[in-house]
Amino acid sequence: MVATRLGPAQSLITRYGPFVVLLLALAFPLGVNAYWVTVGIGILTFAMLGLGLNLVVGYAGLLDLGYAAFYAIGAYTTALLTTVFHMSFWATLPFAVIFSALAGVIVGYPTLRLRSDYLAIVTLGFGEIVRITATNLGFTGGPNGIYGIPSPSLFGFQFFSQNSQYYLALAFVLFVLFFTRQLAHSRLGRAWLSLREDESASEAVGVPSVRVKLWAYVFGAIFGGLAGAFFAARLTAISPDSFTYTQSINILMVVVLGGMASFPGVLLGAAVVIGLPEMLRFMQIWRLFVFAIGLIVLMLLRPQGIWPAASRKENPFGPGQAGKLGPPLPLDALRREETGGEGAALRVTGLRRRFGGVTAVDDVGFEVRRGEICSIIGPNGAGKTTVFNCITGVTRTDAGDVQLDGRGLNRRQPHQVVAAGLSRTFQGIRLFKNMSVYENVLVGMYPHQRASVLDSLIHTGRQRREERESLLRCQAWLRFCGLEEQAGHRASELSYGDQRRLEIARALAAQPKVLLLDEPAAGMNPSEKQSLMGLVRRIRDLGVTVVLIDHDMNLVMGVSDHVVVLDRGRKIADGTPQEIQADERVVDAYLGRDEQTDEEVGAWPS
Amino acid sequence: MALLEVQDLHTFYGSIEALRGLSFTVEEGEIVALLGSNGAGKTTTLRSISGLERPRSGAIRFLGRDISHMPAHRIVQLGLGHVPEGRRIFVNLSVEENLMLGGYLLRRTPREVQARRDEVFERLPRLLERRHQLAGTLSGGEQQMLAIGRALITRPRLLALDEPSMGLAPILVQSIFQIIAQIRKGGTAILLVEQNARQALRLADRGYVLETGSIVLADTAKALAENRRVQAAYLGGEPEVAL
Amino acid sequence: MSVFVQYLVNGLTIGSFYALVALGYTMIYGIIRLINFAHGDLFMVGAFAGWFVVGIAAGMHLPVAVQLLLALLIAMLAVGLLAMGIERVAYQPLLKASRLSILITALGVSLALENGAMIAFGAGFDTFPPNILPLSGFQFLGAQVGDVQLAMFVLSVVLMVGLYLFVQYTPVGTAMRALSFDQDAARLMGINVEGVVLITFLLGGSLAAASGVMMGLYYTQINFMMGFLMGLRAFTAAVLGGIGNIPGAMVGGLLIGVLQSLAAGYISSQWQDVIVFAVLILVLVFKPTGIFGERVVERM
Repeated sequence: MVATRLGPAQSLITRYGPFVVLLLALAFPLGVNAYWVTVGIGILTFAMLGLGLNLVVGYAGLLDLGYAAFYAIGAYTTALLTTVFHMSFWATLPFAVIFSALAGVIVGYPTLRLRSDYLAIVTLGFGEIVRITATNLGFTGGPNGIYGIPSPSLFGFQFFSQNSQYYLALAFVLFVLFFTRQLAHSRLGRAWLSLREDESASEAVGVPSVRVKLWAYVFGAIFGGLAGAFFAARLTAISPDSFTYTQSINILMVVVLGGMASFPGVLLGAAVVIGLPEMLRFMQIWRLFVFAIGLIVLMLLRPQGIWPAASRKENPFGPGQAGKLGPPLPLDALRREETGGEGAALRVTGLRRRFGGVTAVDDVGFEVRRGEICSIIGPNGAGKTTVFNCITGVTRTDAGDVQLDGRGLNRRQPHQVVAAGLSRTFQGIRLFKNMSVYENVLVGMYPHQRASVLDSLIHTGRQRREERESLLRCQAWLRFCGLEEQAGHRASELSYGDQRRLEIARALAAQPKVLLLDEPAAGMNPSEKQSLMGLVRRIRDLGVTVVLIDHDMNLVMGVSDHVVVLDRGRKIADGTPQEIQADERVVDAYLGRDEQTDEEVGAWPS
Repeated sequence: MALLEVQDLHTFYGSIEALRGLSFTVEEGEIVALLGSNGAGKTTTLRSISGLERPRSGAIRFLGRDISHMPAHRIVQLGLGHVPEGRRIFVNLSVEENLMLGGYLLRRTPREVQARRDEVFERLPRLLERRHQLAGTLSGGEQQMLAIGRALITRPRLLALDEPSMGLAPILVQSIFQIIAQIRKGGTAILLVEQNARQALRLADRGYVLETGSIVLADTAKALAENRRVQAAYLGGEPEVAL
Repeated sequence: MSVFVQYLVNGLTIGSFYALVALGYTMIYGIIRLINFAHGDLFMVGAFAGWFVVGIAAGMHLPVAVQLLLALLIAMLAVGLLAMGIERVAYQPLLKASRLSILITALGVSLALENGAMIAFGAGFDTFPPNILPLSGFQFLGAQVGDVQLAMFVLSVVLMVGLYLFVQYTPVGTAMRALSFDQDAARLMGINVEGVVLITFLLGGSLAAASGVMMGLYYTQINFMMGFLMGLRAFTAAVLGGIGNIPGAMVGGLLIGVLQSLAAGYISSQWQDVIVFAVLILVLVFKPTGIFGERVVERM
């Protein structure tokens, strides 16, 4: 379990640990023989590969069983360009990167819409296709591969000796580590994690899942290709045998064994996956068997990996951070600029949806005026959530029309609906459970952030400015919802009521025109409900139109300007709270008609 | 000795305490209604009893045996049936296959299963007409009947019903409640979670009102039907009658 | 024409071996959503178990038919039990953990089986006794069909049909289909979910073993790494047919076998796997659920 507070020992490790590890890595070749230096280079190569694959598997949660394909493409690019065109190693690197990235797009683009298990086999197939192609083509040297690749040289220095190659590998690892970390700590990295945690929730807060996944794929490919280029130049000879499915699996093991989305985990994983079998050499033929058993036992004991990523973060708004971020934003900064215009904020007409033999929503239509709180009420199974799902593009509609501020939302995907200005929360809470509270809110800002992928990679001034502004807005939203203190907590650690509020904060972070709340008060006690309704009023006062689903009629009556009542998929009433309370049909719908049950019934089972 | 006795039940979802020390009983042959608003913990109570959730603490005694740590399929074997919220019929199987699975525990006596399946068909002729259809193509009311019929094949001593009338048209609600009346007549005790409070209380002998995982009110059905707090629990707001 | 028929006959023979292994993949995936990477290695263990039994039975001078029958039955039983043991020890504790950790465990099991077999039987090839099977055959549409080919194909089909009937018409088989859809509801029917999962592994393992014994006899040579390629192709077959779908796995296996045989015959055996995978990827892109797959209900 995660410690409740970062202890002094832990903060010492986070502060000085990397330097100690770097020093040890630098000193390593001095203390061991050439054989172990070679093993060290192997570990470093797999660390590069692991770091790249970590973006795909650990961050975006996409299972890739053919990662060695990108490794191969990078290696063959460098091998061919140096041997055939006599280019220098360094000059081949951009080509290695471009070709593997292209391969990533070619495989990823048509297949990323597939379910993850199918994606796994597509990647597996692609890996095999690349390897077999390399084995069978003439210009790739067939099964023998390519010989005579020149060792890299820099300013006349030849990376010839084991030790120099080791340091070159270390430099490559540091380079890859730097950029993968930059990506991880950006808009893109957060979006990846959110997809891994809950893809449909992620879509529903505005992350365009296919595009974001594709970038994970492309960056994974780029770093894999880079590792391949290094590998080719170091060995001076490559053959298809180095890029087998088994190799892909080894790289995957590095990531999962170490700990998904954990940078120290990946480095440790590389050391274990490559180093441990070497250390077990004295066992001779038992070596891999023992390694396999060890692997199973390790996964049984630590399914999260050896060094799992910390999901609890330091509170970025805590007392220790004062001054770094600048003064908090005033509440007014959250106010919505009135977009003006007449007419309804949200207009739904003729909505219809069937599931199998059940009509969940039947010809439902209503209007929500700008700046009001509108409640949709009705007993369980009345179709309220289905209406929300239809409006937000989560489920297909069979018929009907939805307009936000006069613009049609039909056939839009959930993330486009958010970008258009309509956010939602879920009935069953759907937070990104293993991300921190403030990261949850930052993901909610995705649709309005402008940092490009390049900005995210190199953390330009523009990106840093936007991140700082986002953090300030995040702080303001968390403060608005009363969660600033818990900003660094893991979302799943929050109490029930706080999780509800965090979901609202995340939805608000997208700066919606209209906010849909699906049973925000479910499971709360009366006083929690009262404070929640206070929050709903304050949201309205910021200029956000609120649509609320709830059961609790009296509570809804207190807060709403306008109430729509559904029963069994149909609208049965629509009016002010006073009108609704006077409506007999509504009370009947709730408590049920008191109809005579036929008492003359036979017993069953007889 | 009560048929079912629940004592100080605590159930958690992660860090969230869904049930906060629940205690209640169901006697042989009676109908007990569990009432309360959404999220009050009614469904969690049923899931804890039937072994789908592991309670963190507390005792659940059924027929005198503590079942709080028993796997779900053993609890069914003891005679506790559960028709879950949302029916949860197997939509990828035919109506008949759903019923046959209801008789899974009797699979060594297939003739008995067939006899009981035919009894269900006799009671619910709609299902007979559709016996070879995939269950997913049934209407909501038919799905509910199938779910109840499926649970009755083992002839449980206690049947837990979670929102049997949810989303159904009034005429179908009527038939579902008729079926419930029949089941009671057959001697099966019923623990009923129901949105339709008026009708549930008409049929029930006793009832409990839940709020945020605790029981706030326990009385005879008749008394509850007249209690304004019950209305408050459903329609929300502050109770107008203090405890 | 006769060449085409010949490729078809050979493809169907190999394809039926693939189909038996693909069934295990598809059943296990359908029931616990695990790609059991160790499944191809169970096929390999089955081949060795069969080889081992034939060796002993031949030493006892039993008639060839008895040798083969014993080899088949003992291998199926042994590997079925092994698969159950693996599920109980290595998978069951992780069913509620992240899906990737159980996948890595499966990879570990695969590695352990391969290296265990290497330790026990050596790294080289082992061969079944030569001429144990008759070489007789007959002409069919200009193609040469071996009696053995036909017998193996028929046996595979019998096993597949048997499995299909079991899953379709017995209570336990119905329980398998039910719990692949809704585990909680299955528990409420009194189904011992863990037990049914174990039975699934038993069936999957014994079908893989049957395939292993037949493939070993067909090619006469076996090796500790033979499960790897088989696993890859059988998994592909399962996905091609629509993973989780039992008839899909059968058809997928036969299709992969035929495709491979045609590709090897008309193009080049070097490219056969490329063609198989290319077809798979195209099928998935244009029909993402495989040939027989139903749209999986995404639960909100």
